[in-house]
Amino acid sequence: MSRRTKKGLFWVALILLIILAARAAGCSLPLFLSRRDHLTDILEQMFPPDWGYFPRILAPLWATVQMSVTGTVLGAFLALLTAPLCAGDLRTPRWLRPPLRVAVQVLRSFPALILALTAAFLFGLGVFAGTAAITAYTFAIMTRLTYDDIETASTSAYEALTAMGAGPYRAFFRAVLPDIAPAYLSNALYMLETNVRHSAILGYVGAGGLGLILNEKVSWREYDRVGAILLALFAAVCLIEAVSTYLTAVITGRRRVSRRCRRALMAGFGLLFLFCAAATAPPDLSRTSVQTVKNMLGGLVRPDWSFFFDTGPGGLGRLLLETVCIALAGTAAGALVALPLALLGTARLMPRPVAAFFRFVVMAVRSVPFLIYGLIFIRVTGPGPFTGVLTIAVCSVGLITKRFTEAIDGLDFRASHALAAMGVGPVLRVRYALLPQLGPAFGSAALYRFDVNIREASVLGLVGAGGIGAPLIFAMNQYAWDQAGAIAIGLVLLVLIIDVISARLRRAG
Amino acid sequence: MVLEVSGVSKAYGGVHALEGVSFGLEKGQFVSVIGPSGAGKTTLIRILNGSETSDGGQVVLDGAHMELARGRDKRALQKRIGTIYQDFALVDGVSALQNVLNAALPDMAFGPAVLGLFGRERREKAARLLERVGLSDKLDTPVRDLSGGQKQRVAIARALMRDPALLLADEPVASLDPVTGRQILELMQDIQRTEGLTVLMNSHNLALSQAFSDRLIGLNAGRVVYDGPVDRAGEDVIAAIYGEAPR
Repeated sequence: MSRRTKKGLFWVALILLIILAARAAGCSLPLFLSRRDHLTDILEQMFPPDWGYFPRILAPLWATVQMSVTGTVLGAFLALLTAPLCAGDLRTPRWLRPPLRVAVQVLRSFPALILALTAAFLFGLGVFAGTAAITAYTFAIMTRLTYDDIETASTSAYEALTAMGAGPYRAFFRAVLPDIAPAYLSNALYMLETNVRHSAILGYVGAGGLGLILNEKVSWREYDRVGAILLALFAAVCLIEAVSTYLTAVITGRRRVSRRCRRALMAGFGLLFLFCAAATAPPDLSRTSVQTVKNMLGGLVRPDWSFFFDTGPGGLGRLLLETVCIALAGTAAGALVALPLALLGTARLMPRPVAAFFRFVVMAVRSVPFLIYGLIFIRVTGPGPFTGVLTIAVCSVGLITKRFTEAIDGLDFRASHALAAMGVGPVLRVRYALLPQLGPAFGSAALYRFDVNIREASVLGLVGAGGIGAPLIFAMNQYAWDQAGAIAIGLVLLVLIIDVISARLRRAG
Repeated sequence: MVLEVSGVSKAYGGVHALEGVSFGLEKGQFVSVIGPSGAGKTTLIRILNGSETSDGGQVVLDGAHMELARGRDKRALQKRIGTIYQDFALVDGVSALQNVLNAALPDMAFGPAVLGLFGRERREKAARLLERVGLSDKLDTPVRDLSGGQKQRVAIARALMRDPALLLADEPVASLDPVTGRQILELMQDIQRTEGLTVLMNSHNLALSQAFSDRLIGLNAGRVVYDGPVDRAGEDVIAAIYGEAPR
């Protein structure tokens, strides 16, 4: 089979798969259109927000920022220590590698919300549990990203140093770290941005921060106050994004600053972290006992196998399949919306004000926690997987648009100019010289988001939007650890399978 | 005469890149334009292939005035010129064959061009050209996976795809190692001799220009300071072109 036919077959198969997934998740455009008036139901109640409520938002908002800063820094730091032990080509103890990799992979399979729920069982309700969850979440993702980076970095300097007798850790910090530092730091800053949004909903499971009052106001239907909370969150997200964009530019060398300024930035960030960490309330261990921990681990060791292998409608297999369908259809819909937004949001193709406007829109869409979208869509399409698809789609738009815009900003116009000199018109230049450059970047952005969405889709159950989330959270709240264990194992396996598939797709290009 | 250039000038913000440049090219000649950095060599190539317009003067290709042509007419003239570049200017992510086929786009109707229906004839021709430049086993390889020399071979095949009257080469070997660079020039010379192609090459490598060209044009500060056979360009002429003796 030639490369062209293979490519064609791949696309046909992918589109068929997405259509099947959408049908399985109960997606129905007519239903959505017929009830589209309800889309603005809640929005109308949210605006104008209750301005008088703002002063009372500040404390939980601070707790949210505190959790994300402390958790991100701690998690990223632990990841930096662990990644060299996981990487293949450094001379670190070989026997440590497989168990560490498995641990990271298992941790990576769970969304922040589930980690927070677990942490709340261990450390009691409050900010400490949230911080612990964000730390674990950041640690898992950053370790994986960093050891991938280490494995692709050049090791010649590292080998030279170890040949001169330097120990593996010392050689790593001297020879490999400078190479991967820019990628590591910009990943960490990106994690900080996402973590602010994540920690804003952790309060749903009792882990402190904005989520606590968000949950309260949503259940009391005080939507004008919900509007105020969302606005405050949006301001915080904008601020963090602005800071992180500036710092990323400094780190990658796009913006030059003096040495003194660099030091001042580092000291400032260090102080912020210390302040956030020091202000974290200690854990409430009064209700934690060795027995709780034993019960939780017992569930993982002795899961409910009959539920695990149940292939009926309420069984694990069906629920996981539904989760995959929601993630697949949602990612596809999100990518479809993201494409025009990315084209409109780049200053390279659009006038500056237009680009700035669309970037602002995308940022606003991104700053709202997904549970709020779930609540909005449930009014339109009712409880069920279709609501999950819509929620996942809207949540995907932000990240995919961001990656798409980056790809467009990085376009190489030389080939296009060469075709122009041969007399090729503008449309054909885009088709033959520019789109081939964007294809792989678009593909990998969508694939990456699909990976994230599998996890996100597994907590949609919290708002009744289908998937594996609801059963997992119910099981945990009822201390049915054997069922929770079965679901956890299923989720880990699912994420592992998706990982293998997406790695193969990436390699195939 | 394939190409006649007379009195071509170009200025960027008051700085003269070219001033009253005139010369002619006979069919089948291999001519090198030499000169120090900033002498206007690349500007000259960009004006000749229509990427840039001159401020004054005439460029006549096979009797048609390039500087007067606009839109469709200009594109028709551009079809008769092939250009290769220092940085190859290929689409990295697609195959060598597709890169060569891209040169056929201006000859095709819009629909088939967008859909990529190039037809068997064009595909065979592109494959034949890739074979001609020594890449018969790399047709389906993405350009990204080719070496620098192989990329320049693909670029040459692309330039030849439409049987150009004139091949322009803007520092074609400056990004390549000496051995590979020599092989590329040997290939260009071979094509020039067997197919009677006219070649105009920019180069800052004096030794290679002397070895492969029939004729040298020396540019200094936008003016032609020498135009004649290679063997008559002695050390004094070279010194005048570069403003000082080349190192």
